[in-house]
Amino acid sequence: MADQLLEQVRDVVDGQIDFQGQKLAEILATVLLSVVGAISFLVGFFLQDIALALKIGLGGTALTFLAIVPPWPFFNQHPVKWLPVGGSSISSSHQNIVIDEKMLVAR
Amino acid sequence: MYNSLTRIQNVFGFFTTVAFVVSAIIAASDFTAPRTPSASIKPTNVQVVKGRPHYYSSKKEEYAIIKFSLDADMSSLFTWNTKQLFVYVTAEWPSTPSGDGTNQTNKAVIWDSIITSPSSDHLANLGPATLKKLRKSAAGKSIDPSRGKLSLKNQRPKYQITHPSGKVANTEDVTLHVHYNVQPWVGMLTWNQDVDFALWKRMARGISNAFALPTVSAKKK
Repeated sequence: MADQLLEQVRDVVDGQIDFQGQKLAEILATVLLSVVGAISFLVGFFLQDIALALKIGLGGTALTFLAIVPPWPFFNQHPVKWLPVGGSSISSSHQNIVIDEKMLVAR
Repeated sequence: MYNSLTRIQNVFGFFTTVAFVVSAIIAASDFTAPRTPSASIKPTNVQVVKGRPHYYSSKKEEYAIIKFSLDADMSSLFTWNTKQLFVYVTAEWPSTPSGDGTNQTNKAVIWDSIITSPSSDHLANLGPATLKKLRKSAAGKSIDPSRGKLSLKNQRPKYQITHPSGKVANTEDVTLHVHYNVQPWVGMLTWNQDVDFALWKRMARGISNAFALPTVSAKKK
């Protein structure tokens, strides 16, 4: 029970996402931060208010962190489909691998 | 981008790049704002007195006390990137040929003032009541160019000036000069220019007519 709970916590903290999600996160981070920077300058320049520019820049960056860092479901839309271990020719009795006294049964 | 930690590192790393680039563009945007400062200054009352550099000094020196009137329009120097403006007045005079001759000109600050932008009022070295008044004067404004308009009548100098030799009485060809120093939020410090540079014009006038310091007055300092 405690092990399972720990495993879940570890997954959430680790926050792994799939390959497509990684590409999406990369593009999203670049675009969001660039747009925030551009907006912050333009608003500051035309309203002649540097404090507002700073607030927009920092606020937008915080939102970008919120959008990119947690493993949101849309970063996990394309999970990797692994091939079955060893193929179908090997009988199921050989597919039981014992690691660290835990049974991992290949599907 | 594999796990949360690498995403934090990536986003933060690119954030620093964006912050640097935006800062550079803000600093460059200063060149789009024309600077057309002007000032007129004239001495109103000049006297030279004898005094000591500090209480226990046995050395007696001559100090010039130059009162002046100043009308200046520095309002064009206040843009969104201006943090504060430092305005100062110097007295300048050529060195005498018979003197040590090492100084081509003598130059000493007699008065200065810091003018904050509304965005930096919290940094002003003022008491709470004065600060409140200052904040109220620019309530709702992000920049306040009217603070750049100075009008001083018969202003006492902040600093009495002397010379390393201790002699300043009867000096000829003394002129008062108005200087400024723009201190931006991001970018380089800029001082008043001697030549026009694109939209930044040199200060109109800002130099008084030459006058002579009087002989030492009998009045005790």
